[in-house]
Amino acid sequence: MIVTDQDLQYFVTTLKNVTKYDFSEYSDKSLKRRLLKVLTDLNLDLIGLLTNIKQDSCFAENIVKEITVNTTELFRDPPVWHLLRSRVLPRFKNNKTINIWHAGCSTGQEVYSMMILLNEMDMLDKAKIFATDLNTDVLEASKKGVYKYRFNIGYLDNFDKVIKQNPLNFEEYNDIPYEKYFDIDKLKDTITIKKFLTEKPIFRKHDLVNDGNLFFAKFDLILCRNVIIYFNYSLQNKVFELFHANLYPKGCLLLGMHETILGPWANKFEKIGQAYVKK
Amino acid sequence: MNYKAVIIGGSAGSFQVITRILHSLPPTFPLPVLLSLHRLKHIRSGFVEALSIKASIPIVEPFDKEQIKPGRAYLAPANYHMFIELGNKIALSTEESVNHSRPSIDLSFITAAQVYREKLVGIILSGANRDGAYGLKKIKDLGGTVIVQDPSECQVKTMTEASLKMTNVDHILSTQEIIKFLQNIKTTAP
Repeated sequence: MIVTDQDLQYFVTTLKNVTKYDFSEYSDKSLKRRLLKVLTDLNLDLIGLLTNIKQDSCFAENIVKEITVNTTELFRDPPVWHLLRSRVLPRFKNNKTINIWHAGCSTGQEVYSMMILLNEMDMLDKAKIFATDLNTDVLEASKKGVYKYRFNIGYLDNFDKVIKQNPLNFEEYNDIPYEKYFDIDKLKDTITIKKFLTEKPIFRKHDLVNDGNLFFAKFDLILCRNVIIYFNYSLQNKVFELFHANLYPKGCLLLGMHETILGPWANKFEKIGQAYVKK
Repeated sequence: MNYKAVIIGGSAGSFQVITRILHSLPPTFPLPVLLSLHRLKHIRSGFVEALSIKASIPIVEPFDKEQIKPGRAYLAPANYHMFIELGNKIALSTEESVNHSRPSIDLSFITAAQVYREKLVGIILSGANRDGAYGLKKIKDLGGTVIVQDPSECQVKTMTEASLKMTNVDHILSTQEIIKFLQNIKTTAP
């Protein structure tokens, strides 16, 4: 089975008519792959899928959840967390409050990674954490903070690399126990984030295509990692505009390890490693 | 044949082979080299530096939507799938692992096959799983040239043997012969 440009257009138009979601400025290649995956998983052809979408708004909502990518990990890409620890977060050390927005937070691992790092830097108390995603299922999972253990053993390696070790000083080793932040139950196959972390963030549904800033606040730090790879150039620029407008001066935007700002918004930021600082 | 790109997939036991290949390419190699390699956890970062030490062409871990240029090697970043898109661009994605792998060699190969069709050389090296076998078949189906490292020379044969089982390949070559094939490719390009 292949998904043609026209198939994709029918799909996007139908979704736009039935729901409020607009995928027309997503990267077509990745959207085609996702559409093909959904058709294969559901064993439907395009006509069947579109008929179901038109008849059943719950089904349509579920398709949107399937079509978007929801992978994340605790401390994904440790070098990014080293940068946060050594060069980004220290900039806010003397702030009275630090407002952080995780845009596209998926199932919440990045949010809790950030809070663990802030806590180790004695900055958690003054942080206000906002986290958003398009998909309400992943937001519910975020609030619970319960993850599969066996599937995610790599999380613990990342924790060691970011929290226990100091990449700038190999002799330093902080033996911080996992139990400080999560409970591991090997029998139930779960890693459960401690309540003092899960009860703090404000989680809200938010669509980067349609919605502006939902919170009556500006931000010191916005994280939007591995989200814009699924957007086309024009939508990427709209999102950069939104972020730029809602950062404080000298506020930081952190994209994914292999994402970059191309085009007009690049010169409105200064780069510190991978981080973009609003000029 | 005027080839437009070379794509190489490898896993366990392929590091030294890749190093030798990249070392032996002429600095003026006329094509882009796309590398989709599984990595061991402890060399997730520093891999590009390790490969670069002896390489004669620049190696980059590309950014999403980066333009592909000849004479450079593009290494799929750890923990991302690397796709090749029309317009000669890289696309990265964090979609679920395929064959327990991210990057998945199959996904890189399939998308490269769709873009370059008969103007692509696909090479499968030593490796411990079956990722890449289906992708190599796709390259062949779309008219590309496919090469498998001689299993008798591979540290781990699973990947090359799986590829040979699925596809009637154009060449089964030793590392030295792969190098020779690539060195001579320049005479066939425009």
